[in-house]
Amino acid sequence: MALLDRNGEIIEATTVSNGEGVSGGLAITPLEDWQEDSGQGLLLEPTDEPDRRFQRAPLIAINFPAFNDGRGLSLAVLLRTRYDFAGELRAVGDVHPDVIHYMRRCGFDTFQMPEGRTLPPARHDAPSTLAPYSDYYQASVLQPEPAYRRVRRGA
Amino acid sequence: MYRYDTFDKQFVTERVAHYRSQTARYIAGELSENEFLQLRLRNGLYVQRLAPMLRVAVPYGTLNSKQLRQLAFIARHFDRGYGHLSTRQNVQFNWPLLEEVPDILAALAEVDMHAIQTSGNCIRNVTTDQFAGVASDEWLDPRPFCEIIRQWSTSHPEFDWLPRKFKIAITGAREDRAAVAVHDIGLKVYQEAGEARLDVLVGGGLGRTPVIGEVIRQGLPARHLLTYLEAIMRVYNRYGRRDNKYKARIKILVRAMTADGFRARVDEEWAHLENGPSTLTDAELERMASHFRPYDYPTPPADDLAAERLANPAFSRWVEQNVSAHREPGYAIVTLSTKLTGVPPGDVSDAQMETVADWADEYGFGEIRISHEQNFVLPDVPRGKLLELWQKAGDAQLAAANVGLISDIICCPGGDYCSLANAKSIPVAEAIQTALADLDYQHDLGPIDLNISGCMNACGHHHVGHIGILGVDKKGNEYYQISLGGHSGGRGIAASLGEIVGPSFSRDEVADVVVQILASYVALRHENETFLACLQRTGIKPFKEKIYGTA
Repeated sequence: MALLDRNGEIIEATTVSNGEGVSGGLAITPLEDWQEDSGQGLLLEPTDEPDRRFQRAPLIAINFPAFNDGRGLSLAVLLRTRYDFAGELRAVGDVHPDVIHYMRRCGFDTFQMPEGRTLPPARHDAPSTLAPYSDYYQASVLQPEPAYRRVRRGA
Repeated sequence: MYRYDTFDKQFVTERVAHYRSQTARYIAGELSENEFLQLRLRNGLYVQRLAPMLRVAVPYGTLNSKQLRQLAFIARHFDRGYGHLSTRQNVQFNWPLLEEVPDILAALAEVDMHAIQTSGNCIRNVTTDQFAGVASDEWLDPRPFCEIIRQWSTSHPEFDWLPRKFKIAITGAREDRAAVAVHDIGLKVYQEAGEARLDVLVGGGLGRTPVIGEVIRQGLPARHLLTYLEAIMRVYNRYGRRDNKYKARIKILVRAMTADGFRARVDEEWAHLENGPSTLTDAELERMASHFRPYDYPTPPADDLAAERLANPAFSRWVEQNVSAHREPGYAIVTLSTKLTGVPPGDVSDAQMETVADWADEYGFGEIRISHEQNFVLPDVPRGKLLELWQKAGDAQLAAANVGLISDIICCPGGDYCSLANAKSIPVAEAIQTALADLDYQHDLGPIDLNISGCMNACGHHHVGHIGILGVDKKGNEYYQISLGGHSGGRGIAASLGEIVGPSFSRDEVADVVVQILASYVALRHENETFLACLQRTGIKPFKEKIYGTA
């Protein structure tokens, strides 16, 4: 299972997101078993509520049960903008290359795609899968200012 | 109307390249059917019964003549010479080739158009009053807010993968021509205490579970529009059901939480967002408003409209039905009806599109609107030119004097095209129009909204038709369920949902049942009492007895 960073580079790490796996020496534990002083990574389901104590986790993995399930995007935005989570935010589960550009803008750092799924190869005549647009209208975790506050727009 | 700047142009151009690369990957077998489904839906491409269908966004139903000519070109070059005006003010093409869709998008981008988010579980094209900016009963022009929402919702990082599709409608007039109460979010904009403010309704909608939306916020200052929408969307995205597509719309969540519970949750969320960076600046509100300033209307020469109408009863009738009051003296708003018997409601040919574009230039400022009733609107016609326009419209088969009358049927494409439909809807519309061909009789009947949907998804808005017709499947046969008393919220009367009269009918019976319903109305009505008012007074019982007998 390929783990990608925000630039689409493959990171050497193996992770099994059931509490037993290791990512760069880091165990990832589901919320019910996670303890804030454990130093372990935290695995969140889209139904989990964000919490301030999650700041202590070095890594939070958010599970996407299906690639068209957007709940994890909102959870990521909340962790980044309201719960001051500054550690690594990783998307796991049914992560799809065409959804990663949304995930990046919601504050995810790394993306673990399921077995057999890869990033489409870069082509000179196609936009980058991870960043297909040069700018966006609205604010995001990556760009907290909406376009109308930072770009001179036409009247 | 709104003019694209380099930012907008760049975005739609990049969207074409992005979608082209996704299509190429699908054709090369690198994306599965289901993967590509999710991607193409976010760009308006359905795979229908006979061919793909491409839904082009017409933001809040407003087009310029250049754009409409380009749609005519697309209809001719990539389709079979016609397009369809949808009940969400968009334009649909029924016969594009999947491989050619990127080229169609490129052709659209040339005229500042796109098909972004016209389908899929995301925020759809915002709809509004087709008379926005020119209506004589308008409090405040809703279009700047439509455009603000269009930009904000385009490829939103957090809200493009919602539990279900999401529709926002805005009105700014006394008469609600946008049916805001039956949208996921309905907004009413008005001026109060020197600033623009909004009332916010949530949880309305049609489909399997029709619901009238509830007001959760009144008097919201316009600068808070986007942060408040963000709060609503986040609550819905996180808690809306995803286990059952028929229970995934926001109305089900609002019902489960109660409107008060939902409001409390939104307010709690909004407390964190209020006055944050997405708060609209005065400069941005002003910039958007500046795109929609009234045109510089030259004073038209005195017109002879009264005399022209006296001399020509057919013209007079068209003026009465299809011409609406303009806020500017000497000007009128003209609705060009597509509802000619024998033509599927909303279908327009390439030639008609070009003709309407020419009229928009000749009798206006080059602007065209599409109404949710699936008609074209010319918003700025000098009153002295109405007769000339009516004559030309007659030649172009766009002069049916039936706007608001029973033959002005709202109708989805139905089983002739749509793979979701249980039954055909276009032949039913035609049978009813044929049975009621006498325009004098239609006039005598007065305003009646007759809406037809080919299935529960309710694209033909049957729940809010004064007479609603729904195609149902009965053991593999097409049947039609009839309801009475629905209303979309116009003419100063609150929106309501129709009541089913009883067992459904076969296709052959439907027109006759409609005729009987109308006969009942004629027998029951008081002087000057409209069909809807009569129904609201008597209830559906006497109509039911006429249809099914008293036994």
